Amino acid sequence: MDENKNLAPETLPQELFSKAEFHEELLEETGFSNYSYWRSTIRTFFKSNVVKVIVALVLIMLAYTVIYPMVTDRDPYTASLSAKEWNLPSSREHPFGTDGVGRDIWARVWFGTRTSLLLSVAVAVFEVGLGVIIGALWGFYRKLDTVMFAIYNTLTNVPSTIYLVLIAYIMKPSVFTIIIALVATGWIREARWFRSRILALREADYNIASICLKTPARRIISRNVVPHLVSLIIMDAALTIPASIGSEVFLSYIGVGLPADLCTLGNLVNQGRSAFLVYPFQMIFPTLILCFIMVSFYIIGNKFADASDPKNHL
Amino acid sequence: MQKKIFEAKDIVIKFNLRGKTLTAIRGASIDLYHGETLAIVGESGSGKSVFTKSFIGMLDKNGWVESGSMVMDGVDFSKYKTEKEWLAVRGKKIAMVFQDPMTSLNPVKTVGEQIREVITWHFGVKKAEARKQAVELLRQVGIPEPELRYKQYPHQFSGGMRQRVVIAIAIACRPRILICDEPTTALDVTVQAQILELVKKLQKELDMSVIYITHDLGVVANVADRVAVMYAGQIVEYGLSCEIFKDSRHPYTKALLRSLPQLGVRGQDLHSIKGSPPNLYKQITGDAFAPRNPNAMKIDYLYEPPFFKVSDTHYAKTWLLSEQAADYCRQMEQQEEAEDPIPAPPTDFSAAEKLVQVKGLTVNFKLGRGQFSAVKNVSFDIHRGETLSLVGESGSGKTTIGKAILKICHASGGDILYKGKSIVGRLSSHEMTEFRKNVQMIFQDPMASLNERAKVEYIISEGLYNFRLFENNKDRQEKTARAMRSVGLLPEYVTRFPHEFSGGQRQRIGIARALVIEPEFIVADEPISALDVSIRAQVINLMNRLKRERGLTYLFIAHDLSTVRFISDRIAVMYKGQMVELAEAEELFAHPLHPYTNALLQAAPVPDPDIERNKKVVVYDPSVHDYADDPPIWTEIRPGHFIRANRAELDAYKKHLEK
Repeated sequence: MDENKNLAPETLPQELFSKAEFHEELLEETGFSNYSYWRSTIRTFFKSNVVKVIVALVLIMLAYTVIYPMVTDRDPYTASLSAKEWNLPSSREHPFGTDGVGRDIWARVWFGTRTSLLLSVAVAVFEVGLGVIIGALWGFYRKLDTVMFAIYNTLTNVPSTIYLVLIAYIMKPSVFTIIIALVATGWIREARWFRSRILALREADYNIASICLKTPARRIISRNVVPHLVSLIIMDAALTIPASIGSEVFLSYIGVGLPADLCTLGNLVNQGRSAFLVYPFQMIFPTLILCFIMVSFYIIGNKFADASDPKNHL
Repeated sequence: MQKKIFEAKDIVIKFNLRGKTLTAIRGASIDLYHGETLAIVGESGSGKSVFTKSFIGMLDKNGWVESGSMVMDGVDFSKYKTEKEWLAVRGKKIAMVFQDPMTSLNPVKTVGEQIREVITWHFGVKKAEARKQAVELLRQVGIPEPELRYKQYPHQFSGGMRQRVVIAIAIACRPRILICDEPTTALDVTVQAQILELVKKLQKELDMSVIYITHDLGVVANVADRVAVMYAGQIVEYGLSCEIFKDSRHPYTKALLRSLPQLGVRGQDLHSIKGSPPNLYKQITGDAFAPRNPNAMKIDYLYEPPFFKVSDTHYAKTWLLSEQAADYCRQMEQQEEAEDPIPAPPTDFSAAEKLVQVKGLTVNFKLGRGQFSAVKNVSFDIHRGETLSLVGESGSGKTTIGKAILKICHASGGDILYKGKSIVGRLSSHEMTEFRKNVQMIFQDPMASLNERAKVEYIISEGLYNFRLFENNKDRQEKTARAMRSVGLLPEYVTRFPHEFSGGQRQRIGIARALVIEPEFIVADEPISALDVSIRAQVINLMNRLKRERGLTYLFIAHDLSTVRFISDRIAVMYKGQMVELAEAEELFAHPLHPYTNALLQAAPVPDPDIERNKKVVVYDPSVHDYADDPPIWTEIRPGHFIRANRAELDAYKKHLEK
């Protein structure tokens, strides 16, 4: 622009005032936009420093829970017969101390975190997976409304604690039982939530276009509807993880959780509780880890929900 | 010349968008004189909204004014940083009316409260006094029974009434400049005419200057004293309204005026501007319009032109006005004179096969506990090869008819026949496949009608998959590529996602999706109303070309009579679910009989200031009909010209026709 201001019009060569070549095919390039939903979502997500720190910490913790049990020679289940090893405070040898039978709490916490995380990831996958599939069908076929609402009302009006306890009581206490118990109570809420999302997408013009083209409902759901919900599914799964860890702790607390000899965060907190008045650290250390996991997953889930909203893509 | 009250000079506005900086306004200047109406015209993305929003410091938070000055009363706003400084300007000196009256009002507060709040805020008067003023304002903007309306909520108001309320809020603080950002785009044509009247009246009463931002040249012709044309973040031409409409100099302005559907000649392609507006992320050299201008000169690609003076009031930013370009201009003039299109005579399709027959169609929707008839007893035929346009305001049931024909919406009564067979009720799977293969739809909003998460390749081949219309993958790809080429897009683009295309390109992808399975009949639901003026012509030409080449039949749904004139063979006018008039296109324009058709024709803005200035707004009042004892019937008053009227009216119309 500046360059052109310095040019006196008279100095322009006359040759330039003639017809230029016209490139029709290049024209369409101009409408091109560089917006990409996923790239923008991820950039918005990592804009906040809190998220950067938490994601880094969670990754370190995850790596540690995976690597630690593989490299350590310490067995979290070996009790010590010597009373000298019992209820030790934290030291170099035992960073979190030892419990009433001389087991190393540091090792138990990391083994427990691993079990609890695996359990909650399994719950999240099954619960959200089931919820998406059933919710998609529910949202798409109006006829299912009567049946599904009957199930929904029954399942949600009775407190979920009762099912949890019942299922956990009937079946043998094991990781598998807990997963079934948690998924059985949680899926309906997910399904309902996805149903409402799908109802909003159902009437979109591109779905009507697909109906005009006689696209089968199965493909409309899998190609037109569910891909729009991927970010919601991720966010929902991230929020289900802390919730199911919390439920596991609760079940262990009321005594119908995993077998008491298995290392889980629930069992650790519960066992630490019995010695809390005398040796508070036995409960505080596992609880701190528990709190960290819960809070960080909640923050990640919520921040991701914000980032996945195109309104925040600036 | 009057007193200059506002001056924006060399404004540069930049935005930080997703990690990149884009220059939205590239040095635009504007003067505003006391009491005048200035219209800023441009297509979406030209920066017209951003430019005016910067006058009141309302840029989005990721944008900023890089340089330039905005001076009013000797104060430069461009240096303002804090909200507090801006509060002295907003509402008091410059007020703004936005496009969508639905989103600019608070739904949980009564309309009166919202106006009263503004008055109390700015003037600090007592509540009762402010209330009185608010009622007075409502009266001023033409709201009947203002006392009663004061206590109502926005949802109890119609779109036009809501826009009046927004205007009332804007003028509450007696601003000296009123900026109207597409104030009538979301409204029906008849309501639009009333709102424009209102703004004119208020302008006189309150002695304001008004800036209109619009893409509708008809509106501009109606209201503007002066016009500024914007393209790619710059003002490219400005001058008095008649100078711009009658003697435009910039190639973009010329092309824009020539591409209006209103000026179309039957049987000829509409003059169209190819391509899309430039990407503002990129550095633009030379004249931004050059790549889309087939007659651009070499210099246009190299140097940005300065403003050349045409008259004291008229300036244009194009090298064509340079003395050195005189020879070239003469060449071009000769070229233009050579083309003089002759309108093709209208084709009579009445002998052709009746492809679609609609007989007494009624569509009811449940509304709370009651029922609401969106379409009441409508009958018409569509012959093979013709374009029938359905015209009406929002809520007239025109889209519902289209959807009922497509079997997306159920019919509550009457019958629809496709090729002589009824399609109401259940069809066998085979019949349904046949039907879906032959009847397709083109949608209004190109942003909503493509699945954002699928590649264009899948979107276009969707129909091919469903009807197994390909032998192998290679065949499918070839068919997709052919469809892309037929709508003027490069076949390589199939690997892209819809969001990478502009609105016009997306609309063409939507057309390709419908056409790839080679249907016979297409329902086009307002296919051009969401598009920019320069893109509309492209889409209309494409649809007309496809009609010629493939013998397609269209049901074209539109809300504006003037735009459908040259593409339709017959036009039907809808009002509140009923068809009031149906005639051959030219016949309808020559002899509009029904008062509602007349009102629609009057309201449609014409891009000619001389006509627009002397126009009277006709408001259709259904109570002129006296249908109590003599119910109206759907009658053929002349061969091919149908009207809904009772016996007394028919006699009057017949007399009118004889004259």
